[in-house]
Formats: sequence, C-alpha cells, structure tokens
Amino acid sequence: MCAMPMSDAMTDSVNALPPTQPAPERLTLDYVPRPGLWKIMFTNLFMGVFTLTIWHFWGKTNVRRHIWSCIHINGEPLEYTGKGGELFRGFMLVFVIFILPVLLITGWLVLSRGPNDPAISHLNLVFFAAGYLLSGFALYKARNYQLSRTNWRGIRGNMAGSAGLYSLTYFGNILAKWFSLGWATPVMNVVMSEQMIGDMRFGDAAFKFKGRAAPLYPTYALCWFLTLFLIFGGGFFLAYELVQWIGPNVEEAFKHVFRTAETVKPSPKDLTVVGYVMLGIMSSLFLYILAIPALWAIYSAKELRTLANYTRFDGAQFKLNATWANVIWLAIGNFMIVLIAILIGMGFISALLFGLANSGLEKSTVAVILAAFSVLIVYQGVWALSRPLITQRNIAFIIKRLKLDGAIDLARIRQSVAAQPKRGEGLADAFDLGAW
Amino acid sequence: MGVSGRYFDGQSARSYDVDVRENGSLITFSGIDTPYTSWSIKGLHAIDPPVSGQPFRLTHEDKPGARLIVLDTGFIKTLTSRSSHLKGGYSARDISHIFGWTIGGILAVVALGYFVMNFLPDKVAHVLPNEWRNRVGKQMEQAMVENARVCHTPAGDAALSAMIARLAEGTPDLPAIAVHIYDMPILNAFAVSGGSIILTRELIDKADTPDELAGVLSHEIGHVAHLHPEAQLVRLTGMQVLASVFTGSNGGDMTTNLAFIATVLRFSRAAEAEADAYARETMVKAAIDPIGLKTFFEKLLKIQGSHKDGGSSALSELGGLFSTHPGTQDRMKLIEPLPAGVVAKPSLTNEQWLALKTICKG
Repeated sequence: MCAMPMSDAMTDSVNALPPTQPAPERLTLDYVPRPGLWKIMFTNLFMGVFTLTIWHFWGKTNVRRHIWSCIHINGEPLEYTGKGGELFRGFMLVFVIFILPVLLITGWLVLSRGPNDPAISHLNLVFFAAGYLLSGFALYKARNYQLSRTNWRGIRGNMAGSAGLYSLTYFGNILAKWFSLGWATPVMNVVMSEQMIGDMRFGDAAFKFKGRAAPLYPTYALCWFLTLFLIFGGGFFLAYELVQWIGPNVEEAFKHVFRTAETVKPSPKDLTVVGYVMLGIMSSLFLYILAIPALWAIYSAKELRTLANYTRFDGAQFKLNATWANVIWLAIGNFMIVLIAILIGMGFISALLFGLANSGLEKSTVAVILAAFSVLIVYQGVWALSRPLITQRNIAFIIKRLKLDGAIDLARIRQSVAAQPKRGEGLADAFDLGAW
Repeated sequence: MGVSGRYFDGQSARSYDVDVRENGSLITFSGIDTPYTSWSIKGLHAIDPPVSGQPFRLTHEDKPGARLIVLDTGFIKTLTSRSSHLKGGYSARDISHIFGWTIGGILAVVALGYFVMNFLPDKVAHVLPNEWRNRVGKQMEQAMVENARVCHTPAGDAALSAMIARLAEGTPDLPAIAVHIYDMPILNAFAVSGGSIILTRELIDKADTPDELAGVLSHEIGHVAHLHPEAQLVRLTGMQVLASVFTGSNGGDMTTNLAFIATVLRFSRAAEAEADAYARETMVKAAIDPIGLKTFFEKLLKIQGSHKDGGSSALSELGGLFSTHPGTQDRMKLIEPLPAGVVAKPSLTNEQWLALKTICKG
C-alpha cells in the first residue's frame, strides 16, 4: 500500500455515508489461560508476609485482573478495572462501623465481667445473627462492585435491585433450609438466583431469570435419601456387624492389641475385632470425606444446568454442559490444591522452627517471632497459593461449559448509567464470604 | 501508513473497525462508522502491558470508557518504544508509592502494637474498678484450678496469715491479698486479677523452709502490687483486637481464646523481673533471708533438668521456646543475702511451718 497524503478527506467522505447497522451477533465464551498467574501468586505471598497481610486487597485485585482477562467473549477479553485501594477502603469502613465496635464491646465485657461471663456468649450470639443477616447484603454489594468493575467492549455491568431486600431473602433462605432439613434448598436457590441474576445488568441490558424449582426435586430427593441411607444404614450395618461378629469386648481387644493391659498377648480374635473397628472408622471417614460430597455432586451438576437454563440475556438463552463427574473432578482438584498449599505452609513452619531453635536467640523473643510468622506464613501460604488457582479453575469450569443460544443485538446495548460504588466488598471481606 | 484496529466507544457494545495511525504526538483513527478521532499519546493508558502476538488494548484519559485495540506487532513496537509509559509494569512512582505505603503501614502497625502491648495495659490496669478486677479474678482462678479442693485447716490458715503479716512488717503498703492453697499435684504459684494468689499443694510439699515459701509468696505479691494480672488481661484483649484486624475476623471467638491464652501464657520477662525485685525488697525489709527464694529457684532448675532428661529432647526444646520463665540462672544471680548488720528473723515458727506444710492433709 502506498502512503496516502492524509486520510482526512477520505474519512470525511466516508462519514458522509449513512451509518451501517451491524447484524445481531451470536456470542461464544472461552477461557484462554495466559502466563503470569504464578508470578502474581508469589508476589502476593511475599508481599502478604512483608506487609502483615495488608497487601491482601491489592493481591486480590491483581488476581482478578489476570483471571478476568482470560475470559474471552467473541475473542474480546473481559477487563477488571477495580483497584486494591477501593477494597481496602471498603474494608476499613466496615471495620470502623461494625468490627471495631464489636471488638470494643467484647473487650469491655471481658475486662468488666470476666472472659467466662454468659453475657459475652449471649452478645456473640447477637453478633452472629447480625452477621448472618448482613451476609446477603454483603454478597449482593460485592456482586455489584465486581460488575461495576467488569468491562467488556468498554461497557460495564451493575446490579439494579436492592441489597437490603436480598439480605432478607438470604436470611430467610438460611432459616428455611435449616428448619426443612435441607428440603427448601431447591426452592430457595431458585428464588435467590431469580433475585440475584434478575438484578444483573450489562450496560442497560438486563439478565432475566425465570423457572420453577420442581424439576430439581427428584434429584434432590435422590441425594437426600441416599445420604440418609449412607449415614444411618451404614452406621446400623456397622454396629450390627460389630455385635454379631465380635461381641461387646471391643475395649478389651484394643487393650490387648495395643499392650496397654500388661502382659496379655493379643489373640487372633482380638486382632479381628480391632481390624473391624479400624475398618469401621476408615469407612466412616471415606463416607464423610468422599462418598457424601460425591453424591451431592449429582445435585450440584443438575442445579447448575437448570439455573443456567433459566437464565436469558437479551434474546439468548444460557446452556451449561456440566455432569456430576465434571463437578467431582473440579472438587477433587480444588481439594488437592488446598492440601498441597497446606503442606507447603507446614514446610515453611518446620524450616522456621528448626532455624530459630538453633539460632541461639533469646528464647522469649524467638517464641514471639515464631508464633507471629507461623500464623502469617501459613495464612499467606495457604491462601496466596491456593485461592487464585481454585478461583481460576472454578471460573474456567463454568466459562468453558457455558453456551449462549441465540443472537444478541450488541449495538443496541448502551453504557450503564448506574452510579459506580466508590468502595468495594468491605462486608464480604469481613465475613470472608469468598467473594473472589 | 495505517494499521487495522478495533474501537469501542464506551457508549455502546458495538465494535467498530478502524484504521489507526501514529501522527507525531497523536494517535489518530477513523472507520466507516467512526469519525476521525485523535488522541494524544501522552494521555494514552495501556489496559495490559504489551505481550508479543497479543492485541494491544489502549484507552485515553479523556475517554476512560473507550477502548482502541491494535493488532499490528510493528505498530505496537514503535509506539511503546517511543512512549515508555505504555510498556506497563510498575513505574518508579508506583514502586515508591508501594514502598512508602508498606513501610508507613509497618511503622503504624509497630507503633500500634507498642501502644496496645506495652503502653496501654499498665495505664488501663490502674483505672479498672475494683469490682471488675475481683469479678474477673474469680473467673480466672476458677478456670485455673477447675475442681481442685481448697486446702485449709485452722492452724494452717493461721500460719499463712502469720507469714503474710511477717512480710508486711517492713512494707506497710503491702497490697490487700487473698492467698488460696489448692490440692493440685502441679508445682505452681500464680497471681490473678483482684489480688488473689494461688499456691498448689505440690509447691508447699517442695518447699523445705518457710523462707522458701515466703520468697515465692512475696514474688506473687509483687505481681499483685504491680497489677500484672490486670495488665496482662488488657494486653490479651488488645492482642485479640489487633489479631482480628489482620485476619479480618470479627472477634466472635475472642473470649474463648482469651480464657485459653490467659491460662497458658504467663507474665512477661519484665514483669517477672519486677516481681523478683519486689520480693527481694520486701524480704530484706522484713528481715527474711532472701536466700530462700534462691534455693527455691535451684529446686526449680533441678526439676526442669530432670524433666528434660526424661522427655524427648526435641519436644522439650520446643516447650522451652514458649516458656516465659526462662533465665532462672540470671534471676538467681540477682538475689543477695541480707545486708550486713541485718539479723535474719524466721518467717514462721517451727509449729506454724508444720501446720502450713500439712494444710492439705487436713
């Protein structure tokens, strides 16, 4: 192409043409990982320890900016525009108006009435209930902040409804689930999604959520009764087996096997008894750690698919292709990440312990340094190294399986006129509601 | 020569294809539905640092919602090589900000820590109403002794009162104290808020002379006189507040932790040294031989030594790390006999001592 003198004339002539109207577009979502997350994680770990965890707010922001930029819609990445300072100020505000008064009142009660005074536990109960009541508010506000700091094609999102109303629904949801032994779960989750998703906006375009909880109930009932069967049936079976085969002399057998009772040699029967009991304990552990969550993955997958199916944006409908096996894999992977992070944290502590024990420092000074750094390193090690990976996995899991059926007239979507919150997520941070 | 780009105007979600050019200090772009627009390069911001092969996303300070995306590698290279502020990463200003805030933050935390841990406890302890001190002290005592039996016989109680009276002989402003002996098989003595002092049966058993017991007792009275238990409680409350700031918890489990820590943690080294000094002074004033306190320390060392030999060495090393009563040797060195000319008077008669030794057998 040869160099043109200037394009102004050409642009002018182009501008004289009537504006074209682009056709509605079908949207495809993809998660495109890019390098840099590990660098952010280790920076966060170092800065977290160095700044005595205050870095947390900036670290979280950097992780979000990275993960958001990996989410592509029609090839264009999401953009996170939040700032660490906004989260910090949000937390400070909540600290001053909520946490500090709670701490000062509790401190005053401890000093005036003693640490074991019943008034303190009563007050804690009140604060606990207030915490639950505010949880929904916190979640809603956190979602609003995140949407207002999420841009796609220069357009940001927001929440159009009331956080107060949502907090009441959320509190009602906790009570309903509790009193119905879980049976209110499908209804309440649909109701809460209707409120939360129905209030979501991208620019001036609304998300819509409509659907019934009824289709979720057969799967819920299946999981609920199977859980009941696993817990009670398994327990009864175990107890029956124990009584039938080994009799009531379990304690005796344990004493023989573990040599707590002087010189008696364990008989083969003793070994069988102890073996059965050990097997019982192991299977209970297996039941609780693996079988029950695995069972509930069936419901989780069904709920994810159904809730996605009930969600529409403009003319398009969401579809989520997640099976219970996918959900289990996601959970196992996340569990392993936390486990490894804890091991790394413990490794740090052991190194520090041995280093300090041999350092010849004055012992009480060592104790204080050790205790403070142990807490910091474990806290930072576990969270800074596991949370970003887990968040990335969870988001990638959803994005890769999410489809939008139908075309959207993007040219029609205008910028959001809702006021942007100045601070973010103070309450959600204070209650550790995992708003990543 | 222009390169192709995409433009989002920040008003709608529509994507515009544009032709982008660099023109001196300006970047200009236009397209079929995009009028000729010029942005100053100085006012440009890179959304992300440039990555080879990836689209480069720009915005302008005058149009913060708008985005211009350029794909041409050569164009990106030329633009960023001339405008270092678009290369991303941390600028010298950013780094100085981060360091400034971090160091400022750490200094603030250290200052706050000093205020809460060292300055405040002593001040608050002196203004706590007696009613509060007594109430909290009773709870702490209960938590420490649990269901242990209180030892007392009329003769033993009288002997204990006599010992306190002897200690008060040279120190008329001895604080009001209530000494309770509990039938507990551990060697310990502690002072709690409100002026109560707790001694255990094992401690009475291990003391061979009344002067040894008088030494321990005057040390605990030293804690009471300096309001160490009250200050410790204020310190622990403050620690909880500080900890909750950094862990972001709302302090719901504050009280259980407090009760736990209060029973596990003893006073600081400085407080122990203060109580030792008080004990030495009180004993000299009452003409009780301070060597009693020294011989009791020797016994403590011997007991610690025998435990060390018996237990796992790694574990006892770790246990030692957390001990707040270290340096027994150093503390012993400070204990001197009565000054020349002062004649030692026994702290109890033989009969009184016998009554006190057998107080838990009654």
